[in-house]
Amino acid sequence: MSREKYQRNLEILKANTIEMAVTSLDMVKKATLSLKKLDKALAEETISMDDIVDEHEMMIDKCVSDLITLQQPMAGDMRLITSCLTMAIDLERLSDLASNIAWVTLEVEGEIADIEPLLSRISAMGSIAEKMLEDTIVAFQNSDAELAKRIAEEDDKLDKLFFENEKQYIEIMNNNNTIISDASHLLFVLRYMERIGDHVCNLCQSIVYMATAERVKLN
Amino acid sequence: MSGSNNGNQTEIEVRGLNLWYGDKQALRDISIDIPKNSVTAFIGPSGCGKSTFLRCINRMNDLVKNCRIDGLIKIDNKDIYAKDVDVVELRKRVGMVFQKPNPFPMSIHDNIAYGPKIHGAAKKDIYGIVEEALKSGALWEEVADRLTTSALDLSGGQQQRLCIARTLAVKPEVILFDEPCSALDPISTSKIEELIMELKQKYTIVIVTHNMQQAARISDYTAFFLLGDLIEYGKTDQIFENPRMKQTEDYITGRFG
Repeated sequence: MSREKYQRNLEILKANTIEMAVTSLDMVKKATLSLKKLDKALAEETISMDDIVDEHEMMIDKCVSDLITLQQPMAGDMRLITSCLTMAIDLERLSDLASNIAWVTLEVEGEIADIEPLLSRISAMGSIAEKMLEDTIVAFQNSDAELAKRIAEEDDKLDKLFFENEKQYIEIMNNNNTIISDASHLLFVLRYMERIGDHVCNLCQSIVYMATAERVKLN
Repeated sequence: MSGSNNGNQTEIEVRGLNLWYGDKQALRDISIDIPKNSVTAFIGPSGCGKSTFLRCINRMNDLVKNCRIDGLIKIDNKDIYAKDVDVVELRKRVGMVFQKPNPFPMSIHDNIAYGPKIHGAAKKDIYGIVEEALKSGALWEEVADRLTTSALDLSGGQQQRLCIARTLAVKPEVILFDEPCSALDPISTSKIEELIMELKQKYTIVIVTHNMQQAARISDYTAFFLLGDLIEYGKTDQIFENPRMKQTEDYITGRFG
């Protein structure tokens, strides 16, 4: 195989993108768990991981610039490169949302028992978002457009849960005004989870383009 | 393989073209429709047959000993290998610009006037033809005050534009470019590329290039040749974004070898 350095740099870019996605996934998992257990130390740890994600994003940005300016990539290589760039942007935003969830963990004042009905609904959304992101990493590794499309379909579940939970939160707040402060923070978390799903859909769009050159809207 | 241009008006139609140099077959069963008023790039590794094919389009291969051709090439619906075709007249209709600028050792003016004169242009019209050709060749402003100086004193890029202007002076329908920028610096290259993109309004252009970025920048259609076969032909953005054939992808991403 010719162009060994070029080939190596493409592999480095792909590996960096996978690493960034794994870190983002880890952040989502830890943020969700920190909230479920109201574990403030875990929340702090999650927030600190945001710097690692930012570093990954900058590294991917540099890899992409170098490849385009120095190697003039074409065809499937160019699709991989532009997909990694757009994926890095989505992963960075997705990680910010995980970070926001962890901040809410730090803000919550009540005990688990007081707000259990609220927390369990968030956990359910978190599980769906985590599974979507996990599968997305597999789809990217294998350039699997069909899997990417199936993952994006899962987003409907998150959207549905968001609307249902939002109504129920308001009902719970109406019935118990002692948890209004915490519940209003947790309302944001519902939105963050829903937004994480949207970013996963964007990641899937990039994977479909990378694998097939087809430009699709999956969100 | 055969290549269609998706319904645009065809200027050059090629069907089942085979070419041999002695016993060696250099082109195999080439069929392609090259659309009018467009730039079509031929790409492929050295020895793939792209320049050989280009030279079939104005019958330059007639000059090559032991070269044998069968198949059909029509330009503007007329078989250019038919017995009644006047080859000199054909080469007027199908001009050619080569890799290395080749001005005649005479003045700028006479370089341009040469073709129209031998094709019978009236003396009184010559100056107008020269001016128009140099303007179309994007050279007029640089040479208007020194038309009588030797063309050999021009820079490489200017000489190449002079050769293009010389081709334009005899009012061709098709212009064939055989790696026209490979001997030029980036600034001269970009002038020639801009010129080619302008010229397609009036002419049908076919360009052989080893520079993949150049093919991507200036052509509307791209044909990829390998070992005498036309492997893939399509719109340039499709070829460079999502080639259908693995050989095309391997070549344009530099994985051959």
